[in-house]
Amino acid sequence: MAIYFTRRVLQSLFTLIVISMILYGLISSVPGGFMSAYTERSDFTQEDLARIRAKFGLDDPIPVRYFKWLTAMLQGDMGNSFTTKRPVLQEIADRLPNTLLLMGIMLVTTLLVAIPLGIISAVKQYTWFDHIMTTVAFAGQSLPVFWFGLLLIIVFAVTLKGGNGKPLLPGSGMYTLGEPFSIADRIKHLILPVSMLTFVSAAGYMRYLRSSMLDVIHEDYVRTARAKGLKERLVIYRHALRNAIIPLVTLVALDLPSLFGGALFTETIFAWPGIGRLYFTAALKTDYPLVMAVLMIESALIIGSNLLVDFIYAALDPRIRLS
Amino acid sequence: MKFLKTVLVLLFVASFVLSACGGPAATEAVAEPAANEPAATDAPAATEAPVVDPNAPVSGGTVIIGTPQEPGMMNTLLTSSSIEDAVVSLFGEGLVSVNEKGEYVPVLAKELPTVSEDGLVVTWKLLEGVKWSDGSDFNCDDVRFTMEGALSDLSQVSASGYRDIETLECPDPYTVVATFGEVYAPYLRLFSYTVPDTAGALEDMETWDLNRNPVGTGPFILTEWEPGDHLTFSRNPLYREEGKPYLDSVIIKILPSREVGMQLLGTGEIHALWDLTEANFPELEQLSSQGVSFVSTVTGENELLSLNLGASDGTAPADPATAPHPILFDLSVRQAMQLAINKQQIVDTLLYGNVKAGNSAVPVGTFGCPQPVSEFSLEKANALLDEAGWVVGADGIREKDGVRMSLKIATTTGNQLREQTEQVLAEMLKAAGIELVIENVPSDVLFASWESDGMRDHGTYDLVMYTTGPSTDPDSHLYSSFHSSQIPTADNEGSGANFARYINADVDAWLDEAATITDTAKRKELYCQVVEQINTDLPRIYLYERLSIMGHRNEFHGLKISPTFVDFAWDSANWWMGQ
Repeated sequence: MAIYFTRRVLQSLFTLIVISMILYGLISSVPGGFMSAYTERSDFTQEDLARIRAKFGLDDPIPVRYFKWLTAMLQGDMGNSFTTKRPVLQEIADRLPNTLLLMGIMLVTTLLVAIPLGIISAVKQYTWFDHIMTTVAFAGQSLPVFWFGLLLIIVFAVTLKGGNGKPLLPGSGMYTLGEPFSIADRIKHLILPVSMLTFVSAAGYMRYLRSSMLDVIHEDYVRTARAKGLKERLVIYRHALRNAIIPLVTLVALDLPSLFGGALFTETIFAWPGIGRLYFTAALKTDYPLVMAVLMIESALIIGSNLLVDFIYAALDPRIRLS
Repeated sequence: MKFLKTVLVLLFVASFVLSACGGPAATEAVAEPAANEPAATDAPAATEAPVVDPNAPVSGGTVIIGTPQEPGMMNTLLTSSSIEDAVVSLFGEGLVSVNEKGEYVPVLAKELPTVSEDGLVVTWKLLEGVKWSDGSDFNCDDVRFTMEGALSDLSQVSASGYRDIETLECPDPYTVVATFGEVYAPYLRLFSYTVPDTAGALEDMETWDLNRNPVGTGPFILTEWEPGDHLTFSRNPLYREEGKPYLDSVIIKILPSREVGMQLLGTGEIHALWDLTEANFPELEQLSSQGVSFVSTVTGENELLSLNLGASDGTAPADPATAPHPILFDLSVRQAMQLAINKQQIVDTLLYGNVKAGNSAVPVGTFGCPQPVSEFSLEKANALLDEAGWVVGADGIREKDGVRMSLKIATTTGNQLREQTEQVLAEMLKAAGIELVIENVPSDVLFASWESDGMRDHGTYDLVMYTTGPSTDPDSHLYSSFHSSQIPTADNEGSGANFARYINADVDAWLDEAATITDTAKRKELYCQVVEQINTDLPRIYLYERLSIMGHRNEFHGLKISPTFVDFAWDSANWWMGQ
């Protein structure tokens, strides 16, 4: 067991290092780069540009820059943002609550929508309800987020008016400027981004649950339960669902780390000040330390959660660690 | 196994839910002072109801300005984007600024600086009694500190000019005397910002408190900063002018995009929208029924074509005569191209007549040198090309010595206005037997540096279309664009912006001379000679003058854009909100 653990941990660390190498290489090769903010300005002489390049260590070749960055990171220093000069971890910590709020609510509403619809779709397979739901789910999965988001804004934040002649729902931001904080105001700002995220991600979970329900419903023990004369409700919820939902829970758990990164498109379209938007603006300005930090934390969380699931499988099933 | 796994997963979910529960509480705590602030300031506005003259400024009110870019730094010495430079001007001031006409005006100085006979000693007389928002006095020491800041290794501003100052003396607290080692012609632009000498040690610049809690002499002070969402600036109680600023506060609201900003401008959620382009004219027209108008200023920049006189195969010659472009090196071809382009038609159809056709490398400002718009005559263009030996082939495209008159044109992708302009140009030039092949690239690629194999630097293009122009002082722009020493080559590691590889001994001499004198009239004369020579030799064809544009609601008065980095905020003390 110990050997298996060590091997898997080392593998994961190696994977992380390789990921960091690829990411750093890709980001540093983006044409333009941080210096493009200065090179187009006629009042900056070559001397000025050289000084600024040197200040940010951009004179070194990419591999040297990478090793400097890696050494600092291994000592717990993810660097300072090029634009704000603050430690990148502080920038991320500032935005984390906003992202968790949005993504947490989104997860709850997604499950609230996906689970009942998935069950009903499976139980009433090939009925008109199932057909409509499957079609809607396909639509949800296929819609480009940025397009759908703009559509929502145009309909609910521009065209439709509320009672006071103002738009029905706010189209951007986290609160109304100039108004005291209120839960109602926050909820109003959450409606559009959460609806969009829910529509898009519930579709996937729903289709997943539907097919796993369909598998279970045709199992012998479900037939046995029915043969015993149990009520259909009990058969579905107590016998079938409990087994069908387990793969979905694993899937949700593996998706959890991605909540950290927020929803890049959604946060950007709705001007939600979370990590997704932080990342987006940092990427536009090629603020290398900030971009790398967000990507590395996200990678570490994903690898870490996979590792955890592997360990638990191994603890539960000795065959896995032997093979 | 299933049971254990479920427990684990539930624990995982539970830990997440718990952390998510912590989330909202934390944000609310942060948000609360934010929300209370404007509510409190709204009250006086409501009590000052009686307004006599609708055109007279009234005190009170809040203006919300939307921007798709996000400022991250409030220290002028460390800014890296135009929105930061603009927002800093709400609280920061310089000895001089540039007004909406592109002219220098004194701000923290009594008058524009004076210069000695030999051009080496420049003197500024400072306003007396000005206080920084932290209560300390503004004086000559702050000016000296600003210069030291600009010269420091950590600074991210241009040190041009400051590095030529040999000594900077303070004979009294309100007089600044700078002695230059050699003449620095654009001395007027120095000290267009100031930094208080109480900021801290220069080597700690990146961690100065004022990077996020700025100290300034201007009309507003930063009172709240919600990263990613908005910044609130409130009236500076120590501002020197009685009764100003009129506004209680200015909020900079960060928006996802210009498109969303336009919608919010229409619904009145924001009062002004920063950084629009000529492509937004149709939408601004539509919004005029919803109480929206726009202000614009000529930036002095032109949308232009750079014509590559050197071979476009990557040889990057220091002298195009040694490796000439097979088509464009011939002056009569360049003349014919300009004759075949109907600039006014581009302006009228694509820009709704809101801008002027391009005519000069330095169209406006203290050194402005406007020229007549070039003639449009297809007959003359065709005649010139016939004379030069370019014969129309079977497909309507000219040929000479086996060279087909086909040119590639590149501009930035995703810019609809530029793409439309290219198509119009292609049609116009086709009438003269010149084929344009459109091959656009992302802006990062078009503007890439020498090290990144930039197409302009290496001369691997025929025509590129982009925007450039002088800031208020044309010295560095004209020099880097047209001086023969500024042709990017392997030898000079790609320095300079003479992408056309243009060489003219007269132009070199005029530019060299202009850089060594401080007499404005004489410098202007020299620059005008350069401008005229450029219009004769045509390394660049100027298409139309670029504008700096902001949309605003009609009730927001006093918005004026400066064509320099101070942008929209330079006159914010005079902004006011009407009904």
